[in-house]
Amino acid sequence: MTPTIQTALFIAVVGLAGIFVFMSFFYLIILALDKYLPYQEEKPVEEFIEEISEEEESEE
Amino acid sequence: MGLEELLPAIAGMTWQHLVMIGVGLILIYLAIAKNYEPTLLLPMGFGAILVNIPLSSALTQIDPATGQAVEGVLNVFFDAGIATEIFPLLIFIAIGAMIDFSPLFRNPSLLLFGAAAQFGIFLTMMFATLLGYDIREAASIGIIGAADGPTSIVVASRFAPNLLGPISVAAYSYMALVPIIQPPVIRLLTSRKERLIRMSSANHNNKRISKKALIAFPIVITIAAGIIAPSSLSLIGFLMFGNLIRECGVLNKLSQSAQNELSSLVTILLGITIASTMTADRFIRTDTLIIIALGLFAFIFDTFGGVIFAKFLNLFRKEGNKINPMIGACGISAFPMSARVIHQMGQKEDPYNYLLMPAISANVGGQIGSVVAGGIILTLVPLLA
Repeated sequence: MTPTIQTALFIAVVGLAGIFVFMSFFYLIILALDKYLPYQEEKPVEEFIEEISEEEESEE
Repeated sequence: MGLEELLPAIAGMTWQHLVMIGVGLILIYLAIAKNYEPTLLLPMGFGAILVNIPLSSALTQIDPATGQAVEGVLNVFFDAGIATEIFPLLIFIAIGAMIDFSPLFRNPSLLLFGAAAQFGIFLTMMFATLLGYDIREAASIGIIGAADGPTSIVVASRFAPNLLGPISVAAYSYMALVPIIQPPVIRLLTSRKERLIRMSSANHNNKRISKKALIAFPIVITIAAGIIAPSSLSLIGFLMFGNLIRECGVLNKLSQSAQNELSSLVTILLGITIASTMTADRFIRTDTLIIIALGLFAFIFDTFGGVIFAKFLNLFRKEGNKINPMIGACGISAFPMSARVIHQMGQKEDPYNYLLMPAISANVGGQIGSVVAGGIILTLVPLLA
């Protein structure tokens, strides 16, 4: 096996392993973002108006 | 006055020039009549005609009267946009602005197929070294398997600019030929029973993803990738920058400009500038045919890698929770073509099998995977070659 082919084999093994490591890491990032920044429902308009009127009443 | 003085272009025309003009016409035909990646193949085809007419002023020529070099516009564009990697990186901003990562948030495990389907890059690189190419050239040829034009251009222009022409033509042509390349490979590697597997991810399809998560994603990925492999930052960073412009919600005009005007302008310049490397003396060589063959090899083994990885994962999954191995083939970067091809293959086997959403998730993963692969090659090759 020539040095060039050996180097290519080394780059191939390390490269492919490296991509899997990177992507696994990104997978964990996605799980963390989904856990700590979950989707929150927007309040319905009626609830929002109710909150505003309660605040105005308490100020009076 | 002889023919040389009257019509110097005709006097200087060789059969190689005529072949290259023919190649240019074929690329234009494929772009217009067959709709094969017209955004790149048409400018490349036209550029090939421009640069293969002898004494073309589109290329740098020596003025016979003064002996001085007169710069050609395509050489100026090449030095300014390709040699500096500016054009492909600007395209990455546009691509980032077009990508929606929410399918990936719904099926994050499919990100791994974006890794497995880069197998063809490295196998092709090894095979190219067996054929006598040095590591830099082999890596530039292997990156065709990234199925990602800008990544191929960045790697090739850095490691093997003399091979940029055939590598670009191969990369963009095979991206357009995904509907022809992938199905036979998938059928060879899978049984009908496997192709009929229904993914149990239907519950994820309606899952909502928070805006904050979609905004944080490109920022966190850029920081993480930069810390691990700083030389990948230009590729990953520009892709994620484009995505952040899209997701932030306060730069809609910029996002639209990136997706439309920026993408169109740079693509026009990129296509015609790459053609400046498609001169007869550089293109009509045995190397070109070998590179085109190796490019096909890379795409085939990308598909192989993704499908076999899916079959491997299925060894550890219970019945009812298996992955349809065809989804593995979507881990290449040809978005959304690969996802559509696999969905159609699934529908042919079973009209009630909807593979589109998991296919798109894997395909989006492939877009990240190809950029990561490019970054890894840019990091490793200078260290070891």
